[in-house]
Amino acid sequence: MTFLAPWLLALAGAIAVPLLIHLMRRRMGARIEFPAARYLARAEREHSRTLRIRNLLLMFLRVLALLAVAVAAARPVARWLGSGHAPTALAIVVDNSLSSGVVVNGHPLLDQFKGMARDVLGAATATDRVWLVTIDGRVLGGSIGILRDEINRLEPLAGAGDPGVALSRAAGVVRASGLDAKQIALVTDGQRTEWQQVPALSDAQVLLYAPSTAPPANRAVTLAESRPTRWTPRGAVAARFLSHDSTTYRITLGGRTLARGTAAPNEEVVVHAAPPERGWVAGTVELEPDELAGDNVRYFAAWIGPAPAVTASPAAGPFVKSAIDVLRASERVTDGRDIAVVTGDELNSLPALITAPTDPVRLGTANRALERAGVPWRFGARRAGESTVHGAGFDGVTVNVRYELVAQAGASADTLAVVGRDAWIVAGPRYVILGSPLTADATNFPVRASFVPWLGGVLTERLVGEPGQVIAAAPGARLPRPRWADAISAAEGQRTVLGETLDAPTRAGTYFLTLGERRVGALVVNTPPEESSLDRFQPKDLGARVKSNRTLVVSDPSAWTSAAFRSAAQRSLVGPALIFALIMLVIEAVAIGARAPRVA
Amino acid sequence: MESPRALRADLFDPGSLAALGRIEIVARWIVDGFMSGLHRSPRKGFSVEFAEYRAYQPGDDPRYVDWKIAARSDRWVVRQYEEETNLRSTLVLDVSRSMAWSGAQMRGLSREAGDSTRLTKLAYAERLTAALSLLLLRQRDAVGLVRFDDRIRSAVPPRARNGQWRRIVAALEEPGTGRASSAPEALAQAARLINRRGLIVLISDLLMDVPDVERAMRGLRAAGHDVTVLHIMDPAERELPSSGEALFVDPETDLTVPASIADVRAAYKNTVDEVIAEWRAMFGSLGISYEIVPTDAPFGVPLRRAFAERQQLP
Repeated sequence: MTFLAPWLLALAGAIAVPLLIHLMRRRMGARIEFPAARYLARAEREHSRTLRIRNLLLMFLRVLALLAVAVAAARPVARWLGSGHAPTALAIVVDNSLSSGVVVNGHPLLDQFKGMARDVLGAATATDRVWLVTIDGRVLGGSIGILRDEINRLEPLAGAGDPGVALSRAAGVVRASGLDAKQIALVTDGQRTEWQQVPALSDAQVLLYAPSTAPPANRAVTLAESRPTRWTPRGAVAARFLSHDSTTYRITLGGRTLARGTAAPNEEVVVHAAPPERGWVAGTVELEPDELAGDNVRYFAAWIGPAPAVTASPAAGPFVKSAIDVLRASERVTDGRDIAVVTGDELNSLPALITAPTDPVRLGTANRALERAGVPWRFGARRAGESTVHGAGFDGVTVNVRYELVAQAGASADTLAVVGRDAWIVAGPRYVILGSPLTADATNFPVRASFVPWLGGVLTERLVGEPGQVIAAAPGARLPRPRWADAISAAEGQRTVLGETLDAPTRAGTYFLTLGERRVGALVVNTPPEESSLDRFQPKDLGARVKSNRTLVVSDPSAWTSAAFRSAAQRSLVGPALIFALIMLVIEAVAIGARAPRVA
Repeated sequence: MESPRALRADLFDPGSLAALGRIEIVARWIVDGFMSGLHRSPRKGFSVEFAEYRAYQPGDDPRYVDWKIAARSDRWVVRQYEEETNLRSTLVLDVSRSMAWSGAQMRGLSREAGDSTRLTKLAYAERLTAALSLLLLRQRDAVGLVRFDDRIRSAVPPRARNGQWRRIVAALEEPGTGRASSAPEALAQAARLINRRGLIVLISDLLMDVPDVERAMRGLRAAGHDVTVLHIMDPAERELPSSGEALFVDPETDLTVPASIADVRAAYKNTVDEVIAEWRAMFGSLGISYEIVPTDAPFGVPLRRAFAERQQLP
């Protein structure tokens, strides 16, 4: 017999209460005047043997009842009948998340997990049904030999997987087996970030192994990002590292080393560059190898190309001209006619950043120009009075004069900023339209610090004429399919046509999204940063989080192996213990109420 | 309309009745009620003497209606008779400390232990004694009283004259409790007070040794006395409450018995039954009438039980 909560056996100390009551009974109680005390004394004298036996019986009954309650609280389990183990449905859940790849004592932790799983398989009999469930929820069934091969092939995932799904599916397969003995044998490192949410497994018995030792220190790349996504051709790579000490790093772009350096813990490193590559290019931020290799590399992607050629009409205002001069000086844009920044009445072609005309008289001309250019928006009624603009990057921006932006049939656009419930800036294919002229009396936006970066982003990201963007995803994540791509290809060139959804690969890396033969974007798959934190739950704490019919927590691999099947064939003794306690109390009540035998 | 039975004081709850007046008044009510309950007594044919007429009341036996007077004066009267007797009786009342107790004193142990208005055994016995003596005096018997604890506290020789009952009531109201019981001496004294054969009524809780009492009773019976024993018991003495734990102290001997009631309740009841059986057997062997009188029983009950046979009362 084993106990699932042995510390609750301490409740057995409560048996001291009836013992003390029994021993101290004759020194307790109030004084009551009772003339017939002589009869009482005679009753005790004549029935002393019976009373003594009865009192002892009552004491033992109470002690036994308390012991049974304490035993029940400790949740005992035991095999009731027979030897060996009953036919058992067993799901072996192996935590092969990224953190299981950490090297401990010269071997990956996952190798230990795989060895334990193989040992459990070795104890299976022909009457058992066994499944292997990986932490990403993949369920594998079949013969012992097949499962052994699958175990041998297990590799650490690039992410945390989905423990909730894995356990739910494990519970589902054992439940569907139809066998009485059901067990989920879970082997995990107990990583805190991974086991925040645990599903309730009401009808399954869980045998849980988690190491009680502290995890090794880990270094990881927690941030790798191109800034901006489109380089013209200048851009920057931002990186951050998890470490307890300074760490050396390397940044690559297109397979070429871009930079090397040393970073302090949690320091954000930004490396600027103007590389010669063009188009969509993959890059990495790498650390020196440590105990957990899976998070030593982090991927990013950038589009590199020439700066867009921009021309601004004088009517667009002096603030626009100054801002474009700044962008030109930083090589974000060049002079040319690729993109126009114009008032609506001057619009001749797209792509263009279109502002409202400064003279209301020109409104009709502006709307006709929008119609000719195929822009499904029109300038509507003039609104005056100070209003606050709401939108990302528009903090503190107010507007005094604006025109309502009226959508036409088929208008489809992103609303970048609103005033009240009206759109103020909208963006569509090859156009961005703004409901006010960019003058100081119409809005304070041109004089805000955010204006130049916003204008640079619009010119180099939205109006550059090249669709596509970078999508970041965790390994195995399912995303909505981007409208602007029809296939995904790995760096090695393997191309996969997109379906209804975009399923991120399970291996970290940069994957290019293509439209026809042309790269139009990138899917960057990286390990979730939190997976690099190897802090663990103590086995007992982790066991408490698993809500199951019965959870047996062990931190000894051999105990876990030996408890598999055997534990499942055991039955909970909580019910029998409570019934026993109840029977003891009933007998006690009967004994109290029973008449003492007459003494002749 | 209340039934005549409901108006009979001898059938009232003793605690409630005692709260209505002093011993003297209560005893009169008891006896009046008790006598009115004897209207259908089959006493005809006994040596009874005419006593007086009284107005006919509904319920009176028509056999006692004086038809001649009814024919002459158109008034219905009934004849009343008194038994001729020369009985000399002595009531021996135990006023020891154990008698000054009621089950209400056990309420600290258990709420179910006893009614808080319940009379002590002594209070009950005093009212019963007063009623009994009045009943006997109305039958023209001579009645005396001996009160005792560990010694004789007061003694009123038996007389049948007017004022005797007041003397008895006055004696009952004297202090004198608080000591242990010594019935043999009191019984001997009672026998000495009766200079010829008579009736001796012992009213006691009998918390005393059987052999001593037996010796005294044997002497009384040898002297030719009729003896009746009214064993006063509080219901809480007969049967303990269902739970509680305490040190039970005998107020007379300071005997201390620690007990858990749940453990000894059944054995205690057995013991009390055994003791009662011992008393009954001993008194029965001596030809002594023995009645248990619980203090929650209406006073009419022990009166009827004690004297139904001896006095040919129903």
